Amino acid sequence: MEKLACFLVVLASIAGLSAATAVCSSPEVSATSYTSPDATVLTSIGFVAEFTLKCGNGVQNPALFAELNGKTQPVARIGPNKYQVSWAEDVKKARRGDYTINVYDEENFAAVRKAMRNNEDISTVKALATVVLNYPGSYQGPWVNSEFMAFVLSIGVWYTAFSAKSKLLA
Amino acid sequence: MSNKKQAFTREEELLLQDFSRNVSTKSSALFYGNAFIVSAIPIWLFWRIHMIDLYASLISFVVVTIVSTYLVAFAYKNTKFILKHKVAVKREDAVNREMTKKLAEDKRMSKKEKDERILWKKNEVADYEATTFSIFYNNALFLAIVIFASFYVLKSFTPAVNYILSVGVAGGLLALLSTGTQ
Repeated sequence: MEKLACFLVVLASIAGLSAATAVCSSPEVSATSYTSPDATVLTSIGFVAEFTLKCGNGVQNPALFAELNGKTQPVARIGPNKYQVSWAEDVKKARRGDYTINVYDEENFAAVRKAMRNNEDISTVKALATVVLNYPGSYQGPWVNSEFMAFVLSIGVWYTAFSAKSKLLA
Repeated sequence: MSNKKQAFTREEELLLQDFSRNVSTKSSALFYGNAFIVSAIPIWLFWRIHMIDLYASLISFVVVTIVSTYLVAFAYKNTKFILKHKVAVKREDAVNREMTKKLAEDKRMSKKEKDERILWKKNEVADYEATTFSIFYNNALFLAIVIFASFYVLKSFTPAVNYILSVGVAGGLLALLSTGTQ
């Protein structure tokens, strides 16, 4: 009986070890991002963040998951060790500034999901890596539209003419 | 006698010209030419900006431009008539001074002829200023009305209707306002 327990402990530690080897340690992330620059004819702003992951322990293509603003996001693998996170937001709702995408591996992601389910703080779960996507805002048409400009200018010219006429007739 | 009569006729002619609504042929050509240009300009606006169907609205272009040309020229004439006297009064002293200085060297010219020349110059200056100012004022008002009507008031109409109404209303308003401020 004691032997069996001993065996189980060994098994568990081996299993733990093998699991530990699949975990990406000291990850290095380099990211590029894209957001729609011109929203004059768009209804949604597209956000795309691409990053390459390099694990310090040489783990290749681990499965990754992401969390953004308290919501889970799928992470697509688009190449060897290359991943992409993308989503769209309403032009009106999209806020300018930095979007922090937390990237998790399978194990941490389960913890995140659990924390979400239990309404706990997810920041206690350590992310594998963090990708920051900056949205500088998009062009949403000119400040004043051209017909308004034309109207204001024409009124201005007319007013000049009118005041000159009043002066002449006074 | 004949000399006196001639002088009188000339003066009378000037006075008549001064007080009448009728404009010289040259002035009339200037008015109609300008009125035509300013009435045709909205076609460009409706073609390029409002995306009007150019060929389908050819007839309305012609009709509206002709009507508007007439109305705008009418407004030019009225405004000029109102302005001319005021301009003549405003510029009287300056013209007098300048012409007297200019004619002072000519010893042979009689006082009467000098006065006549001054009157003629006064008429010319007032006519020229009133004509150009009338064109400027009415053009500014016409285009302001067209822009306002076509972009804001008649925005929801089809371009063809928008064109006829905005240019027609602008011409009509111009003609109406020119008669109102006498």
